[in-house]
Amino acid sequence: MNVYLLSLLVFSPLLGILMISLMPKKEERTIKQFGFFGTLPPLILSFFLCSQYYSGVALSAFSIKVDWIRFGNLEMYDPKLFAVNYELGLDGLSLSFILLTTIVSSLAAMASIYIKQGWKGYYLLFLILEIGMLGVFTAENLILFFIFFEMTLVPAFFLIGRWGFLEREKASYYFLIYNGIGSAVLLVAILILFARTGTTNIAALTQMMTMGGVSLFAPISSSMKYGLCLAFLIAFAIKLPVFPFHSWMVRVHAEAHPSIVMVHAGVLLKIGAYGIIRFAMGIFPEQYESLALALVLMGVISFLYGAWLAMVQTDFKLVLAYSSISHMGIVMMGLGALNEAGLQGAVFQVISHGLIAALLFFLVGALYERTGSTMLPNLGGLARSMPVFSGFLLACGLASLGLPGMSGFISEFMVFLGLFKGQPLLAAIAVIGLIFTAIYILRAVMLMTFGKNDSLEEKEKRDIEGWELVPALVLLGLIIAIGVYPNLLGGPIQSTIEAVMLALGGR
Amino acid sequence: MMENAWLIPIFPLVTFLVLLLSGGRLRERGAYIGIIFTLASFVLSVLALVERLTAPTYKTTMDWLSIGGTQLTAGFEINQLNALMLVIVSFVSLLVQIYSLGYMKGEERFSTFYAYLGFFTFAMLGLVMAPNLVQLYFFWELVGVGSFLLIGFYFYRQEAKDAAKKAFIMTRIGDVGLLIGIILLFWETGSFEYEEIFQAVQAGVIPDGSITLIAILIFIGAVGKSGQFPLHTWLPDAMEGPTPVSALIHAATMVAAGVYLVATMFPLFLASDAAMQVVAVTGGFTAIFAASIATVQKDIKRVLAYSTISQLGFMMLALGTAGYVAGVFHLMTHAFFKALLFLAAGSVIHAIHTQDIERMGGLWGRLKWTGPLFLAGTLAISGFPLLSGFFSKDEILMAAWANGNYFLFSLAVITSFLTAFYMFRLFFMIFAGESRIQAEQVKESPAIMLLPMLVLGILAVVGGYIQTPWFGTFLGEWLVEGNEAVLGSGHSEGPVWIMLLAVLIALAGIFLAYMIYAKTKLPREWLVKKDSTLYRILENKFYIDEIYYFTIVQLIKGIGLFLSYVERFIIGGLVTTVTGSIEGLGKIGSKLQSGQVQQYGMIAFLGLAVLLVIFALTGGYLR
Repeated sequence: MNVYLLSLLVFSPLLGILMISLMPKKEERTIKQFGFFGTLPPLILSFFLCSQYYSGVALSAFSIKVDWIRFGNLEMYDPKLFAVNYELGLDGLSLSFILLTTIVSSLAAMASIYIKQGWKGYYLLFLILEIGMLGVFTAENLILFFIFFEMTLVPAFFLIGRWGFLEREKASYYFLIYNGIGSAVLLVAILILFARTGTTNIAALTQMMTMGGVSLFAPISSSMKYGLCLAFLIAFAIKLPVFPFHSWMVRVHAEAHPSIVMVHAGVLLKIGAYGIIRFAMGIFPEQYESLALALVLMGVISFLYGAWLAMVQTDFKLVLAYSSISHMGIVMMGLGALNEAGLQGAVFQVISHGLIAALLFFLVGALYERTGSTMLPNLGGLARSMPVFSGFLLACGLASLGLPGMSGFISEFMVFLGLFKGQPLLAAIAVIGLIFTAIYILRAVMLMTFGKNDSLEEKEKRDIEGWELVPALVLLGLIIAIGVYPNLLGGPIQSTIEAVMLALGGR
Repeated sequence: MMENAWLIPIFPLVTFLVLLLSGGRLRERGAYIGIIFTLASFVLSVLALVERLTAPTYKTTMDWLSIGGTQLTAGFEINQLNALMLVIVSFVSLLVQIYSLGYMKGEERFSTFYAYLGFFTFAMLGLVMAPNLVQLYFFWELVGVGSFLLIGFYFYRQEAKDAAKKAFIMTRIGDVGLLIGIILLFWETGSFEYEEIFQAVQAGVIPDGSITLIAILIFIGAVGKSGQFPLHTWLPDAMEGPTPVSALIHAATMVAAGVYLVATMFPLFLASDAAMQVVAVTGGFTAIFAASIATVQKDIKRVLAYSTISQLGFMMLALGTAGYVAGVFHLMTHAFFKALLFLAAGSVIHAIHTQDIERMGGLWGRLKWTGPLFLAGTLAISGFPLLSGFFSKDEILMAAWANGNYFLFSLAVITSFLTAFYMFRLFFMIFAGESRIQAEQVKESPAIMLLPMLVLGILAVVGGYIQTPWFGTFLGEWLVEGNEAVLGSGHSEGPVWIMLLAVLIALAGIFLAYMIYAKTKLPREWLVKKDSTLYRILENKFYIDEIYYFTIVQLIKGIGLFLSYVERFIIGGLVTTVTGSIEGLGKIGSKLQSGQVQQYGMIAFLGLAVLLVIFALTGGYLR
């Protein structure tokens, strides 16, 4: 039973897909219900996995490995050579990403109630996207990873391009081009690795590259290793994104439908960080270490640049978009700090930003539903007509600026703790960004909620209510839970971080 | 009792949660929830203090976050200093909540107000109980949020909105300094726990330069929170909040957190002469700087705000001149008399609905309770003999003298004079002279407001007797007990003439104010002419806000503008290049689909040739 659990988890959205595809196009209500229920099986399964983990079952018990594709005819030398298996597996790091995915997906499916047309196509694509995301975090080899990775791109492209704001098509076009370039780089790197080593299994590759001693099918020179490490870094830096590859993501944030941005900012961007930790850092620790300073630099630039631009935006969605760039800069800084505090902080930041961004964009969706605008100059005084909404917005803004008691503080604190050890000078420069973050968050939130003039028309004066409270409460609850008792998240990811750090420092 | 002290901050947190979740349905009943829970906190605090008088320090921790091999812990500690702080905070909070029952009457968002007060009280109590620096920072930021929420309570007013934002951002600047200090200290000592840090400091394992740097960084945090120069500008603006909030947060408790921080980290500061000097000079300068501004302000709350800044400067001066006891003692007495003054000011505002002191006057006979209570507070802060402020200020002067810092000592003496002068200027302008307001419009505040003022009034008068040169220095001896080597003795000895000088100075200030504002024997322009440059500078608070606006704010805006051009043209150009080249490739590719077999054949041949060349050059593969 255990070995099929992961496959069941990854492909369980198929159930919803099946049900929706049997529905006629016009059945708005039923499709929306099915769409939401379709995200429940993975959610329940991921909770089950989580409870198994906490009851002491080793995560490796869930791994599955089935022969799948074989290239060439080399069984006589080594049956493992040039074979690509269907293999899924789990460790603490991927478990936390899985939970992030299932939770954010379910809540985003709820928020998709705001979708006005084309429900059937929307939910079909949405569920395919979820399969892709779940697969990315469980794939045990690079080929499988790549397949799932591409599986997220295609539905995301259509979701952005069809259901969004005015310039959505342009945004999805930029999304495709940038991610396509990233994918191409990634594919080349994967194929070179495969051709040289005869395997794409991540654990095996990590073993070969870090421990050595295993005779490679074909040798890899050190400069080639640098090239591969760099290729992985570039591919995932585009995905994350960091300065200067960020403009596609700004457009997606601004133009895609808020419920899609919840998934996009909440999970899809995080694949970038996951990939860097797993591949660039995990497989090429030596090369990674010498490139780390560049990562920190990119991180610091993204952090300050994003924050600075967020200060001058007039559209709330753009404030959040640049804030995402800024917060991904923190991830980069943590990843480049080369110590446990930094790396753990980066992972915390990834999860924390996933939750915060999802909540913020959920609120954007709820707001747009009522006001039809997210332009800051058009808004104001919402605290009077929508006190609950304003409370959530303020709480989430405070989480975003790293208020203690919320998840953002833990991650920022650890990243800076790590960075001051490794790169004190850059850290001292970057720390100014914390002030800017406070400035742009407060500016935006207060422009919307404080002040006299009430921007809402009389008939639209209703606070968030009913089902809308569910996503808001769940996300805020998680943000606070991690902020108050960080070991909740620190526990599961500990072993992965230790393994990666061992490879980094163990030579 | 001390092992259950964790309940002390939990009670106000419960208030906050209950009132928040009830969504304002409780209205005025919410206030009673707040008062009852705060009363519980206060009772527990007193019990903890009483037990701590005899028992040793109590500390307990649990694992909170593991980073690699390092375990960060959460817990609480009850030592002398924070047992005292717990009582002060919960007590003032309790009184302010009772007072607000009357002051905020008719307020639509009554229970929200009490929810915020509960949150602030929770954070402040948590702050003083923290046994390590991370936890301190944790609550340090939370009190900032409490302050932010309460300053911005009247969210629909532009001034309140700006003031709340300014308060948060200005203190955040200080907080960043504190954060860096904490992190650097961790890498020097390997711990966030106070005890282990102090052991490392005393063992001398940290280089001197690092200690100075770290101490100054931590002090920057205190500067932000305690409204010291140059980060003081948020505190006067914070007066946009409801007056009870000003009494609780911006006079008695939160702004004293900076002083508390320096007092808590005192062994670290002591290890660096330079850092001590920075603390003392910043404090001394802020004291006289803010006092001089207070002499010309016209808004009753702003006068008190500048007075708070000045008094906090006094405390910093005391700590910087190794007067640990003096600083903490003044923190305590100041909490009482300044809270009293703010509540009394609130009572005046409540009665006549203006904050402009030039429109007040002749209220002595009308406000039969508020007047004498305001006078008690004014006398206490002026250092009038035998009242609480007299003893604590005397202790500070003694400390400065004993430290041998005569320049700072004279600054402190001048500030004492200014304090007496501007406080009595305020008092006389409100209560003496001709009445400018119709008699029937003036109504004394209800008993629910007067009662807390009365309690504070008594404390402002007698609160000083726990530390006097005549009857014994109980507070001081208890505070430094077991730690004399580090914190110094419980009382600074100094020549008797200092006390006499302090009395004379205070009386001189009072007399001058009396002559100008009560007797009007001297014209109001006797000290500074209204149209003189000095007056304008003082009235405009040394133009600090304007200087910040035209330098830092404009610089940040300028860079923001510049970066948005970078974003538009350079990054936009990059995007165009990328998409353009992809499109270009596509166009070339589609042109190649010409349908001509010869062309296909040629391309295939060329491709093969290129591959062969690569093969020949590399021997099969790239290494």
